[in-house]
Amino acid sequence: MARSAKAVPWFLFAAGGTITAFVLPVMLFVTNIAPPLGLFGEALSWETMYGFVSNWLVKLVLFGIIGFGLWHAAHRLRVCAHDFGIRADTAVAYVVYGLAGIGTLATIWALLSI
Amino acid sequence: MSARKPYVRKMSKTSWFLTHARFKSYMLHEVSSVFVALYMWLLIDGLFRLAKGPEAWEAWLSFIKHPLVVILSLIAFAFFIIHTTSWFKAVPQAMRIQTGEHFVDGKLIVGGHYVALGIFSLFVLILAGVA
Repeated sequence: MARSAKAVPWFLFAAGGTITAFVLPVMLFVTNIAPPLGLFGEALSWETMYGFVSNWLVKLVLFGIIGFGLWHAAHRLRVCAHDFGIRADTAVAYVVYGLAGIGTLATIWALLSI
Repeated sequence: MSARKPYVRKMSKTSWFLTHARFKSYMLHEVSSVFVALYMWLLIDGLFRLAKGPEAWEAWLSFIKHPLVVILSLIAFAFFIIHTTSWFKAVPQAMRIQTGEHFVDGKLIVGGHYVALGIFSLFVLILAGVA
């Protein structure tokens, strides 16, 4: 049977697509739409957020959301580039997956320093 | 040299998707990835500032409240809704659940996803409101 490496980006794409579909609308509302409206002021104070993110379970969940989100977006951006007429797929793949890799490591670094 | 002159339909490489409504909606949910990527990096930046201390965190919060960021956030919110609805719409094709001789109706699976989305979103909003 022919072996393909496509299963890896596809797994990340599908898992990330499902996670982001459930999580991102409400998450963006809490972090970006509510603050200008003056909502959830207490919840987003440094003390509350620091305490919340200090929890290991929260760290794991955030790592899951950001990590899978990055790889999901990377795979779609690669397809997007092709759809907008950029045919240098190998170069595009290095850039988008490279950025997702850097982002994943940065997420781990940031979470470990909290 | 070949004498063949095959017909090649003229098609723009950069705006082909504007020719059909189905292609437009496809591109719309593909472009959502730009905003997903931007938001992920905004969150990573937020985590670094949270780790750094209260002042850095306050700077992140005021960045969020900048009018240009607010406008981008609203556009991102619309794209996230497009991502969610288009993703849920495709679920029955990717996930076929068999019970006995029959397959579970796709509408039931999609409906279940929306119920789960509603419960989860409500849970997060209550959590943020109580904290």
